[in-house]
Amino acid sequence: MISINSLGTLCPQPIIDISRAVAAHPAEVEFELLSDDPATWPDLQAWGRMTEKKVSQLDATKFLIQTAR
Amino acid sequence: MGSVTGVFTSENRLHPAARQVLMDAIDKGWANPSKIHHSSRELAHLLEQSRAIFASHLNVPSASLHFLGEPALGFHLGVNGLLHSGDLYLPATSRQELLAIAQGSKKATVLPVDLAGSWSIPQGSRDDLLVWSTANIETGAHASPPSQFEGRIFVDATADYSLAIPSRWSTALWDSKSWCGPQGLAVLALSETALWKNPLPHIDQRVVPGDFNPALVIASAVALQAFEAERIAAVSAIAEINSYIRDFVTAEIGDVDIASPASGSAHLLSFSFLYLHAEQLVEKMDARGFSLDSGSACISANLEPSHVLAAMGRLTHGNVRLHLYPDHSIESVRAMLHALKEVVAELRTGQ
Repeated sequence: MISINSLGTLCPQPIIDISRAVAAHPAEVEFELLSDDPATWPDLQAWGRMTEKKVSQLDATKFLIQTAR
Repeated sequence: MGSVTGVFTSENRLHPAARQVLMDAIDKGWANPSKIHHSSRELAHLLEQSRAIFASHLNVPSASLHFLGEPALGFHLGVNGLLHSGDLYLPATSRQELLAIAQGSKKATVLPVDLAGSWSIPQGSRDDLLVWSTANIETGAHASPPSQFEGRIFVDATADYSLAIPSRWSTALWDSKSWCGPQGLAVLALSETALWKNPLPHIDQRVVPGDFNPALVIASAVALQAFEAERIAAVSAIAEINSYIRDFVTAEIGDVDIASPASGSAHLLSFSFLYLHAEQLVEKMDARGFSLDSGSACISANLEPSHVLAAMGRLTHGNVRLHLYPDHSIESVRAMLHALKEVVAELRTGQ
């Protein structure tokens, strides 16, 4: 699992960070995103829906992203 | 009509017919309509005429109408005046003024909405109160009719171009701005005066504080008549523009999440571009002569994203909110979209 630290950045940076990480590691299926921006959770869900990723919230600032295969 | 305008924000647009009336009224000045002088009686008569115009176009009894100089106060009067022992129900996409009332109430249920902004009307009981909007202020989404709800209904009619309200209602609120009337005036209708209790401190039987500007009432009635005469044609022109914009942002720009359902009120259109910083987008569009609104967190005063987009599960960053007016031509919209395409490409490349 690859961990991305976007703590302290505001929207849309955390979503740009996770999107870049996913593109850079096509073989990886699980990513963890750290972010304390209040817009991250709603935006991550919308991004997951638009780009077909499974997303879940692990705690207030930690999110799990799973790509298909 | 047909003028090229770059303003797509929710600011007030005064109807030309109302402008002249308003200017004359301000020049003339007004007496106190409750006194007995000649000029007072003349004003009282004009206000009665205006009240009849509102009653006929809003399709509610003239006696149920009250004018408010502070539109936001209408939410408090309309909701809290009916909320006694029962529960309050409202969708999560309600206006912030309404969610603030829910936050202060112990018996409020905020109802979840789906991706299209739709929500299920609860059944409720006789003493309960439902908050129901004719259109969502940000996305234009319509709700299903509240007919199955058994309690009282507050109708927020401040956002839709269609001013009609459901056949059964308890209190209803309109904003003069929504028919291109002057800003700073709301119309509150109370149907169930027996059940309504004034939630403001009061001594006499007055329903509203009464601090409204008579010139605004008279000008607003003129705007309402003019707006209603043009509404059907304007709404159909705006619907065409709306669908042109949807097709353009999807096909020509891409990676866009359109929050406004196609079936909603066409003059309100909200969509979000993936990976874009809305503040930069709004600034760059402004520099090119186009003013747009945005519901993204970086634009809002409290740095919170739009509660409407978040409740719907829509993308909150890179958001653009358009307010389409009857005087927007397809040419002005094409020019705006052409600039939008270039600005989005520029910002996406620069990341």
